[in-house]
Order: sequence, then structure tokens, then C-alpha cells
Amino acid sequence: MEVRQTVSLRFHVLFACLALAFLLILSWVLLREGTAEWRTTQARFTKLEATVKNPHQLAQAAQAGGLHQIWLEDLGRVDRCTTCHLGIDDPSFVAAPLPFTTHPGTWLTTHPPDRFGCTACHDGQGQATTYLDAGHHPQSSESRAMRPLETIEANCGTCHRALDPPDAPRLAEGRRLILQSGCIACHEIPGFEGVTFSGPALANIGYKVRPEWLHAWLKDPKSYLAQSKMGNFRLSDAEIASLQAFLLSQREEAPSDSAGVNWSKASTDNGRALFGELRCVSCHAVNGRGGTMGPELTRIGDKVRRAGLFSFLKNPHRTQPATPMLQYRLTDDQVRDLTAYLLDAYRATDTPEPAPAAYQDARAVAAGRAVFEKRGCASCHRLPGVTASGRIGPSLAGIADRDPEQLAYGSSVVRRTAENFIFLKVLRPDALLQPSMMPTFSFTPAEAAKIGLALAGIRKADLPASYVQKRDPPPVFRPAGPFGDLVDRYRCLSCHSVGGYGGDLSTVPLDRIGSQLKHDYIASYLLNPGAVRVSLEARMPVFHMASEEAKIIADYFSTVFLDDGLERYDARFTPAESDRGKELYRQLGCASCHQLGTTGGYVGPELSHTGERLKPGWIAAFLTAPARYKPGTLQPDYGLSGADARALTAYLSGLGAGPAATKGGVR
Amino acid sequence: MTGTHRVTTAIALAGCGVVLVAMAGCGRPTPQPGDPLFDAIRAEERGAGNLTYAESQGRTLFGHYCATCHGDEGHGDGQNASNLEPPPPDLTVPKNVSDPALVRRVIAEGSAAVGRSALSPPWGRSLSRLEIDYLVAYCQALGRKPAK
Repeated sequence: MEVRQTVSLRFHVLFACLALAFLLILSWVLLREGTAEWRTTQARFTKLEATVKNPHQLAQAAQAGGLHQIWLEDLGRVDRCTTCHLGIDDPSFVAAPLPFTTHPGTWLTTHPPDRFGCTACHDGQGQATTYLDAGHHPQSSESRAMRPLETIEANCGTCHRALDPPDAPRLAEGRRLILQSGCIACHEIPGFEGVTFSGPALANIGYKVRPEWLHAWLKDPKSYLAQSKMGNFRLSDAEIASLQAFLLSQREEAPSDSAGVNWSKASTDNGRALFGELRCVSCHAVNGRGGTMGPELTRIGDKVRRAGLFSFLKNPHRTQPATPMLQYRLTDDQVRDLTAYLLDAYRATDTPEPAPAAYQDARAVAAGRAVFEKRGCASCHRLPGVTASGRIGPSLAGIADRDPEQLAYGSSVVRRTAENFIFLKVLRPDALLQPSMMPTFSFTPAEAAKIGLALAGIRKADLPASYVQKRDPPPVFRPAGPFGDLVDRYRCLSCHSVGGYGGDLSTVPLDRIGSQLKHDYIASYLLNPGAVRVSLEARMPVFHMASEEAKIIADYFSTVFLDDGLERYDARFTPAESDRGKELYRQLGCASCHQLGTTGGYVGPELSHTGERLKPGWIAAFLTAPARYKPGTLQPDYGLSGADARALTAYLSGLGAGPAATKGGVR
Repeated sequence: MTGTHRVTTAIALAGCGVVLVAMAGCGRPTPQPGDPLFDAIRAEERGAGNLTYAESQGRTLFGHYCATCHGDEGHGDGQNASNLEPPPPDLTVPKNVSDPALVRRVIAEGSAAVGRSALSPPWGRSLSRLEIDYLVAYCQALGRKPAK
């Protein structure tokens, strides 16, 4: 009996303790839940709301209480950020403190929260409901902390696959660097599908360059050309020697066309004049100034052999079929003078050109070929007898999703993230404690960071197709017949585009050029391209084109590259319209950018000869909607009414139209 | 294994939880290894005058649309400035950009809209609201810079 009582007592005590413990835990849980960070935050918001909104708005506003969440089934995300960021899509809170303030900019208009949530752009832990757990501090969370604004453009790139994403300049710059540096020649990079990269063909390099230049170039391309696209392959001296022997033995076709040239009669003065007239600096820089489409020429005299340069200038396409450089129509004497000028004016050393040596050392040549193949030179450079090696580097698909612990970081003490790995690798490929075949491109840290941003958005996770924003590559424009031959010879598409295909050095796409410019003006401009835009640095070359060639091009432009909407314009203007246009020209301040006669600015084209140059339909259309025809144009959209646009067109069409219509523009 | 044991464990766990929450609440995160990619971008931003994201976006737009007249650094010395009468104002002088509403109006509607010359054109139809936000932010930043 006593035993039973003892047991019963013990059970009672135990039961009491348990009950007490459960009570404690329960009250602790309730207290914790009641004072949860998001609840106190919401309480602060309710107070703030009362100061920001009037009673009517308050009555309309939804109750803030409770957890808010955005469930994005497509993206596999649940974002509870709006539990605390309560004013994020309400403009009334624009001046409120964090976390209640309105989202800046128009981002939520273009990216509605119910479709994109928050973490798709900002990263972080969407399901968390405390400040720290959500990953607000970049380093507070082990994985996927929130991105600071500095690097947020990486996430733009996950959806925006077109090469020039809107409103993401760092991403755009990173992609431009990837494109320009030829990363795609060795790596498959999602987003760059269909884009190719190639360096010069090397079939005749033995006739083209000087041996000592080739040696220095192979050792470090930047020693010759700071802007060199080719990276430093960190070759050993033995590798350089054999590669040099192999390359100098590449002599497919001798440059025989300079055989009859009398070099003693060469005039460097004439060559200098030609260098200016042909507008070489539109594409080639000298002494740091000029275009970047072609290589800088400041030390060209140290690099090339005379016969090779003569041959190239006479017909660049014979040895370099893919070059963007046009073939000028020059006489042999002109080519000779230009060659002599370039070799004389742009060199740092005075060593005479060595006679071409015979590279017969078969072992060195074979060793050089092995280096050429092993290091993937053929990924960029075409060479007969060496099969193109394709992309010898690893594919970068899903690089941002690689396990950070599996990546090498060298001796740097960095947070282990894929993007830090990418940054270090791009900056110093050889410093990550693992042998690397990748050349060193000598990017600045800022450049490497932008390339890193561009690559850090490349995830392997499948994105629903409806989120992907991409632009298919433009269809190739390759016209046939005599016009096609001229387009090929003068490489129009190196600078101009048709249907988006071609270069963007020129501000004038050719798609509707026949409806913009008058036929006779096109023909005379091609023969003697003047400076319509006074301040433009890259100008159209003076081709030395034959007049029948100019006519073929003008005829083609005026019959094919037309925009019917512009052609139908009624150009019978009244004098009153023209007078009104003149007044508008003054009122709108057109002269601040355009020159007319000797007064006015030089931001936009010179307008004195507009009447002989432009078709009225084009003038009116462009003035009405400038950015529609030229995205990013400096011509402002004044919101002109149809009548005002017509009046300005009447005035401008009357400028310079008359007997003087044969002049080729103003220099 | 008794109930008492479990209770003790639960109380201990709860205690630990409280301590952890308290720790997380008061301390900043301890210093961590660096983020060189982030640092490189920050360094570039500092070089450009320590601009915020919006301001640096504005700087890019300014370089494209405005610098030909207003100058690369906003001093009113762009290459086209000599053709303009009156010349463009020096935007690094704080009083010229101190009123964001006025700056926005001049950018969007042109200088004629605020009773000045017609030389600075209206960009409200060419640029998006966001782009004008950025430009206004950058103009404010220009006025903030210490005069050289």
C-alpha cells in the first residue's frame, strides 16, 4: 500500500513538473511568436501608414497583418519579403524609411512582383522572415545572400539573354568584353549562340611579319599593342622559338604583286596625304587616337614586311578573306606611297627588314606545330593543314551554379562563391594553384568584374521559356550580282547594318536609305564622302570608287532599300508652311545642335544642303519620332504636331535644293 | 529515458535559442574573407566620384545625351558649348542643380519651359521616367562634389 502511495506521489510530482515545463514552453513559444521581428515591423508600419495616408486611403488600404508571400510556381520560389517591405509597390511611401519605402525607379512596372517576386533579382532567402535570415547582409548567409546593387546586374543576365540588355550597363559592358576578347572562341557560353570569333588567317604570315616582332608578340602581345585582343599564353622560350619557326614557315602564296614596284620613287608625303584622305583613322588608331575596328598602327613599321604590307593594302581580301577592311581602288603608285609612309612614320626601331630566312629545321617546325595545336591557336586562327580545334576550353553553361567548394581560389582569401572564382580566373588564370591553358588577357579588375557579372548570371537551372528575353541573331544579308560584289569589296557591312546584320560603327543603317537620301546625292556622296556630321570622328572612307560603281550602289539603294510609308509623303509645300518652319527652327532652338551656313552647333548634321540630300518624307517621319528610327539618337522628340513637322520639313527641304545640287557635301 | 530528461533538453534548447537570437541581434557579422568582384566594382565607383547606383546610371546617360554641350564633368564646357549663347551652366555649382524638381523639368520639358532659352531641348518623350530619374540623381551628385 505504501509502495503504491510512493509511486503515485512520484507520478504526481512528475506530472506537475511536466505540466509546468509545457506551460513554460508554450508561453515562450507564444511570446516569441507574438514578438516576432516581422510582427513588430508590421506594427511600426501601421503607425507610419497613419502618418502617410489620409483616413480615406487608410480605409481603402488592405490590412497589413499576417505573413505575406508571393508564390512563383514557375520559378520554384516563395518570397515573403513583402511581409516587412509593405510599401514596396505603393508610391505613398516613397519618402518612408526602410523597409517600408517604395521600390525606386520603374522596375516594378516592368517586373511586376506577382510575376517576378523579389529574390529573382535580389537573391537572398525569400522564405525567411527575419532581417538576418533573409540574407540582407552580403556575408551573413552561407548561401545565396542578397546581392548588393553593385553586382545585381548579374541577375538581369539570367533572363535577358540579348547581347545588349536594357538598363544594365555593367552587364552590357561585360558581354561586350567577352565578345571582343574572343572568349567564345574557346568556351561555349550560353547567350552567345551563333556568334563566332576569329583572328587573322596565318597562311602567309611568313611573308607578312618580321621574325623579331613575332618573337616579342608570342612572348607578350601587350608589349607591342596594349589593346591586343590576343592574350598572353605564358609560353616558355623553347615553345616560343619553335612556334616562331613553325609560323614563319607558313608561306602559302608569295606577295608577288609588288615585284615591279619602283620603291626609290616612293613619296611618303603623298602617302601621308592618302592616309588622311582614305580616313584610315576611322578604324585604326595611331598614337592612341582613332578607331578600334582594326589594329592600332602606331608601331606597324616594326611589325610587317614591306612586300607583305603592299600586297595587303592592294587587296586585303586575298590573304584575309574575313577582314572587315575594304579594298580601296588605288593605283600601284598610291599603294606604294601609302606603304612607304606607314613603314616610315610608324615605327619605334630602325633595324632594317631582314631577308626572309628559310626555316628548314624540321624538328623545330614540328615542335611548333605541336604547340600550335596544343594551345588551341586554331580556335581563332585559320591555318591550312591544321584542323580547327574548335572550343578547347570547358563549356561555361551553368557556371554560376557550380559548387563553390569545388572551385580553386589560389592563395586569395575570398568568400567561396562562383563569381569570385570567375573573377580571379579571368584576372589571373595562372594564379589559382592549378595548371591553366587559358591565356592571361591583362584585364583591369573593373573589366574582370564586369566579365564576372556577365558570367555569374549563367545558371544551369532551367528557366521557364516565358521568362527568357532574347533576340535571335539577325538574318545574314548577302546580296548577289554586281551590287553584292561591291558590298563585298567595300565591306559596307563592316560599319553599316541591314536588318540588324552588320556593324554598328556607322550611325546610318541601310534598311531604308533609299527613302532617306536622294538618288543623286547617294551617287555623289559615295564618290566623295563629305562630313555631314561635323564632330564625328569615325567617317566614311574615301573609296576612290569608280563612278559606275557609285551608280550601281545608288540605283540599288533607291530601288530596294525603301520604306513605302516614307515614299508616299506629299511634298507639295506652300510658302506659308516654309515660313512657319523657319520660325519653328528658331523657336525650338535647332541651331544649338545644327549648323546652317556658318552659325549653329555641331552636334547634329549640317543642314545647309538638306534639300539636295534628304527626301521630305524622311525628314517629316524622323522629326516626328526620332527614337523610332534611331534608338538613342541625340535628336530630341519635340512631340511635333503633323502640321509643325510638315512646316519644318518644308523649310528644311528648301535648303540648298537648287542648281547647286551637284556638290558633294561640305568638308 | 524519462520525461524529465526530455523537458530538460527542451528547456536547454530553448535557452540556447534565446541566447542565439540575442547574439544575432546585437553583433554585426564577424569580418569575413573578401569579395574581390564586388570590391573591384566599388573601387571603380569610388574612382568615378563614389556615386550611387542611380547616379552612376545617370552618369552614363549624361555622357551620351548631355556631355556634348554640358561637358564630360558637367562644367558647361562641352565641345558644342562655344556655339551656344547663353552658354550651358556649370552643373557642379550647387545652386544650379539644388532643386531636383526644376532639374527634372528642364530635362523633361526643355529650358524654354522654365522661361530660359530654347537651347536645351526637351527629353521627356525620348527618355523613360527611370532614365530621367537617373539623370536628376546624377545632376544632384554633380552639385554635391567639392569644387575643384
